Amino acid sequence: MTEAQDLPGRAAAAPATGRRRGRWPHLALEVRQHMPGPQQALMLGASLVAGIAISTLVLVAAGVPAGNLLDEFVISIFTRPRNLANVLVYTAPLVIVGLAAAVAFRARFWNIGIEGQMIFGAIGATLIANHDIGPEGARLYLMAATAAFAGMVWMLVPALLKLRLEVNEIISTLLLNYVAFNFLLFLLYGPWKDPQSAFPHSKMYDAAERLTRIGFFNVDTSIYLAFALAVGCFLLLVVSRFGFLLNFVHANPKMARAMGVRVAVLVLSAALVSAALAGVAGFVISAGIDNRMTQSFFVGYGFSGILIGFLARNNPVLVVFFAALIAVLMVAGQGLQVFYQIPSSMVLLIQAIIVICAAASEFLIRYRLRLVR
Amino acid sequence: MDFLFNWLANIPPFAVPYALAALGLMICEKSGVLNLGAEGFLLVGALAGVGAILSAGASPAAALGIAMLATAALSLLFAVMVIALRVNQVISGLAIVFLAQGLTSLLGRTQGWTSRSFSGMPRIEIPWLSDLPWVGRILFSQDPVFYLTLVLIVFAAWALRNTHVGMRLRSVGENPEAADAAGIPVALYRFGAVVLGAALMGLAGGYLTVVISNIWVDNITGGRGWIVIALVIFARWQPLAALAGAVLFGGIEAVIPRLAATGFWVPQHFLLMLPYLLTLGVMVWSSLARRGRGGGPAALGDPFLREERR
Repeated sequence: MTEAQDLPGRAAAAPATGRRRGRWPHLALEVRQHMPGPQQALMLGASLVAGIAISTLVLVAAGVPAGNLLDEFVISIFTRPRNLANVLVYTAPLVIVGLAAAVAFRARFWNIGIEGQMIFGAIGATLIANHDIGPEGARLYLMAATAAFAGMVWMLVPALLKLRLEVNEIISTLLLNYVAFNFLLFLLYGPWKDPQSAFPHSKMYDAAERLTRIGFFNVDTSIYLAFALAVGCFLLLVVSRFGFLLNFVHANPKMARAMGVRVAVLVLSAALVSAALAGVAGFVISAGIDNRMTQSFFVGYGFSGILIGFLARNNPVLVVFFAALIAVLMVAGQGLQVFYQIPSSMVLLIQAIIVICAAASEFLIRYRLRLVR
Repeated sequence: MDFLFNWLANIPPFAVPYALAALGLMICEKSGVLNLGAEGFLLVGALAGVGAILSAGASPAAALGIAMLATAALSLLFAVMVIALRVNQVISGLAIVFLAQGLTSLLGRTQGWTSRSFSGMPRIEIPWLSDLPWVGRILFSQDPVFYLTLVLIVFAAWALRNTHVGMRLRSVGENPEAADAAGIPVALYRFGAVVLGAALMGLAGGYLTVVISNIWVDNITGGRGWIVIALVIFARWQPLAALAGAVLFGGIEAVIPRLAATGFWVPQHFLLMLPYLLTLGVMVWSSLARRGRGGGPAALGDPFLREERR
C-alpha cells in the first residue's frame, strides 16, 4: 500500500509476545508516513464535530431542551447584532491569548502562565491609569506598552530558570499564576481598592484611559489591535527569519543547536513575546470591557488561549478563526446561564471536551488501524 | 512554646494529602507516564467525597472509598488517551485538569453540593500512646487516614524495590523497549499504574474535603496538584523522601493561619503566596543540586509503541 509497510518493526514482524497474533483477526497499528494537509484538516474538523456532539449531550443532560440549542448557539448570535457585537468583544482578547500560546508553543516553551502575565499586564496598565502618567493623548499607548512590559517581567523568572537551570516551565509558570493572583488580591483589597465601591476592584479608568468604541454596540478598538497583532505574529512566525529558525528549533532542538542556531536566545525571545501578548490581553480586558481592574477579569483565558493555540496548530491565521469560535461559545454560555441557569463552568467543560477530542484525532492522523486476518 | 506545639500538632493533617498524592503520582510516573493531571484528580476526589456524604449519606470512610473509585474512573480516560491513543502527555494532563475543573464546578452547583458543610471524620486517640506528652498529641491522636498513609508509604517504598511487580513497573518506566523484549506487558503495567496512582490521588482529594475542610467550594485544591508534581521531582521519585517533602509543605501550610492569628505583620495575601514560592524554590534547589531529572524514570513522558521502536 504505502512505503510504511516496508519499514522494519512492523506488527507482523514483531516477536510473538501477543499469543493470539496471527491466528485470529485483530487490529494492527501502522505508523503513517505523512497525511496530506487537507485530510488532516478533515480529521480535525471531524473531531470538532464529535466534541460538539458530546457537548450537546452534556447540555441536554443538564436540562437545556435540545431544540433550543441551535437557537442559542447559532441563530440568536447571527441574527441579533447585539450578540454578534458581544462575540467580537470577546474575540479580541481571545485572539491575543491564542497568539500568546501559539508563539510560546512554537518554541516548545509551555507557557501555562498566561493568566499570571495577564494579571501583571493589567496591573501595569492600571498603574499608569491610577497615577495619570503621560499626556492624555498618549495615555492608552503608554498603558498598552506598560502592560506588555509587565507581562514580560513576570515571564523573566520562569524563562531564565528554564534556560539556565532546566526548571520545568509548565510548573513554574503555573505556580506564578497563584502568586500573581494573590498579589492582585492584595492590591484590590489594599492600596488600589476603589474607595467608592464595596467590591474589590480598582477605581474606574478616566475617559482617556478607555479603549474607544468603534460605533457597533460595545465593540471597541481592541478588535483592530487583535487583528494587527495576528498579522504581526504571522509575519514573525511564518515570514521572518526568526520564524524560520523557530520552526527549526521546534522540529529538532538538538539539531538546531548543532547547526549553530542560538536556541536559548530564540526560546527566550519567543517566551517574552508570548508574555508581552498576554500582558496586552490583560490591558484589553481592563481598558475595553471592564474599564477598571477587577479580581476575576482573567479567569478562563489562560486555558482558552492554550486551547486556541493547540487547535490552530500555532498558526496565527487559524488562531483568529478558533478565537472567534470560542467567543461564540462564551457568549452562548452567558445566554444559557441567564435562561437555563446553566453555571458558567459549562463553557470550561465544553472546551475541555473539545480539546480532548481534537487531541484524540491526532492518533488517527499519525496511525492507521488495519484489520489483520 | 505553645505556638510551636500547636503548629507541630497541626502538621499531620496538612501533610497527608501531599504525601498520598505524591505517592500516587510517583507510582504513575514510575511506569513512564508523565501525569500533569494531578490537580484534576485531586478535584474529582474532593468533590466525589462531598457528593457521597451529602447525597448518599455515606460514612466518611465510605466517602473516601467513593472518592478513590470516581478518580480511578476518570483516570481511565487519561490512560486511554496517553497509552492507547498516544496523545501528547502534556496536552492530555492539562486537558484532564480543565475537564475536572469544569466538571466539578458544574456538578457542585447543579447538585447543590457547593458551600454546604457536613461533619467529617473523627480523630482516633490511640490508647496509652496518645497520653504521652508532646508526641502523644502530634503523632497518636490523628485521624485514621494519617496512619494508613504512613503504612502505604512504607509499603510502597518496600514493594517498588523488592517485589516482582514493583521491579517490572520500574523497568517499564526506565526502558520500555527492553521491558517489552523481556515479555513484560508494557501497556498493561502503565494502565495499572495510572489507575492505581489516580485512586491514591482521589483519596488525597477526598481527604481534603471529607477530613479537613468539611465543605466543597470550586477549585478547593488551590494548586496542590501542581505543588505535588514539584514535590515528586524534589523527592527524586522516592516514597520516603516524598513523605519528608510532604511534612515540609504541610508545615508551611499549617503555619500560615497561625502566623496570621498572632498578628504577625505581613498582609495575608503575601502569606498565601508562600506555598507556591516555596515550591518554586524547591524546584530551583532540586535543579541546582543536579537533581532536576536525576532519579526520574528515563522514559518519563515517552509513549511506547512497538511499531515505532527506535
